[in-house]
Amino acid sequence: MSNTVTSLRTAGTANRDKDRSGWVLPVIAATLAVGTLGYIGTASLDSIEARALTTDVLLERLFEHVSLVVVSTVVVIAIGVPAGILLSRPGARYLRPPALALANAGQAIPSIGILVLLALVYGVGFRMAVVALVVYALLPILRNTIVGLQQVSPFVIDAARGMGMSARRILFTVELPLAVPVMLAGIRVSLILNVGVATLATYTNAGGLGDLIERGIVFNRMPILMAGCLLTIALALIVDWLAGLTERRLRPKGI
Amino acid sequence: MLDISNAPDGTTDAMIRLTGVTKHYEGSDAPAVAPLTMDIRRGEFVCLVGPSGCGKTTTLRMINRLVEPTAGQIWIDGQDVTHSDPDQLRRHIGYVIQQVGLIPHMSIGQNVGIVPSMLGWDRKRISARVDELLELVGLDPSVYRSRYPKQLSGGQQQRVGVARALAADPPVMLMDEPFGAIDPITRERLQAEFLQLQERIRKTIVFVTHDVDEALRLGDRIAIFAEGSRLAQFDTPLEILTNPADDFVRTFIGEGAALRRLSLLRVGDLPASVDSGEPVDLTVGADETVAGVLEKMLMAGAERVHVAGGATLTVQDMLLATALPKHPALR
Repeated sequence: MSNTVTSLRTAGTANRDKDRSGWVLPVIAATLAVGTLGYIGTASLDSIEARALTTDVLLERLFEHVSLVVVSTVVVIAIGVPAGILLSRPGARYLRPPALALANAGQAIPSIGILVLLALVYGVGFRMAVVALVVYALLPILRNTIVGLQQVSPFVIDAARGMGMSARRILFTVELPLAVPVMLAGIRVSLILNVGVATLATYTNAGGLGDLIERGIVFNRMPILMAGCLLTIALALIVDWLAGLTERRLRPKGI
Repeated sequence: MLDISNAPDGTTDAMIRLTGVTKHYEGSDAPAVAPLTMDIRRGEFVCLVGPSGCGKTTTLRMINRLVEPTAGQIWIDGQDVTHSDPDQLRRHIGYVIQQVGLIPHMSIGQNVGIVPSMLGWDRKRISARVDELLELVGLDPSVYRSRYPKQLSGGQQQRVGVARALAADPPVMLMDEPFGAIDPITRERLQAEFLQLQERIRKTIVFVTHDVDEALRLGDRIAIFAEGSRLAQFDTPLEILTNPADDFVRTFIGEGAALRRLSLLRVGDLPASVDSGEPVDLTVGADETVAGVLEKMLMAGAERVHVAGGATLTVQDMLLATALPKHPALR
């Protein structure tokens, strides 16, 4: 009994440590964002720089970027989680390797290649950028859904079957809740990947913070380039922090 | 209160009847379970014992159809359940496994309440039942109900496993080496407690184990399986120790059969010797086991013991009467 109490206490301490270090990411992100804005506000900018770095433009680029990330992640979840569930069923044993290989290929192919190909065939725009992001970010969610479901103890499932739970009830009340932490980890990875890859959306005219980076390079203006880079980094850190918070909140008790 | 309507009432009708039940896995020549026919009586505690690979677990899992039999019929309480809806069937059969399989993200109370809630009991009734069962297996509900499985020791988890299997008061319990993964001291305590529990609830229990001692200790009858899922002997512990059916059974029960019998025989069943009229040192009940009485006599340094209701026995009488080969009086 005393063992249990001690292990609970250490587990609790570990959690508290995590909670305590939780402020690091948002502080770095805020410092980056504030620093960037402060620099823009005080530096003497030429006309190209000034036009590219107004608050309105920055907010619009940020909004485009966040939209790309949110929409593509929602689509990836909508595709990856059900596909992962289907592929984890015993009947789909033979489909699993080719499906994972396909998702693997999606991540191996450079996004810029997909973006340009899609743009050539279907034209430019927000939707094409979302498709490219979805192809790229599918693997972590698909794989983690399958792995998360497979790591549920077969004995727990056997006991559940033995009590007369139907396969459907076992999926929704036993397997999925137990797979949630692993699935959330996959979603978090996909989100972070998407924040980075969405900078390429500028090449298919979908805007985003990549616009600033590209403009900074094309016009050879360091402040614009820097603003694009630093805001992207700050956004990635904040997204990661929020995903971590959600992960901790949604983790079922008892595991 | 627990429903004790399943108590044996003198009838010998089979609670579980297997007729020609067979399991053949595709791609393997030998059947996992060769055609097996056996009757398990109402309220009886039957142990299936045998070396690994003898088909005892497969047999158990065919009773609640976690394994579908290839051929044969399964009857429970007079009903052919070979083709009934397996989920419905299993809700009325308790199931306990060695690894317990508590659902980690559900509290102990929720785990115990799973089957009642599937059966549509109202919340109040489930909650009362959960408390009753946790108390029955020796866990204080106010302490344990809201804990999670990983906060419990292995022994405590299996107590919950037993409580969960009993939740909807099923007449039949299937147990697959439930105490196999528990340390020896806790295991013995759980075995003793479970026997006491069974005295009260009188379920029909099928209990798989590879441990002969456990089977001899717990079972009303023991089914010994040999390799190739041959049912070598199906009889009471005493009969198996006294008259092993063949060499396999003899080897399987191992040494010490004669001594083991002492804890199964009752002094009341021994033939009375001629009363020499000498003083008696000790009086014991007719229900006590020979081993228990010998222990008392050794502790007290007694030479003679009086069995309530008649006979007076000496140590020599007792040893002669219980010796192998069997004494005519034991038939």
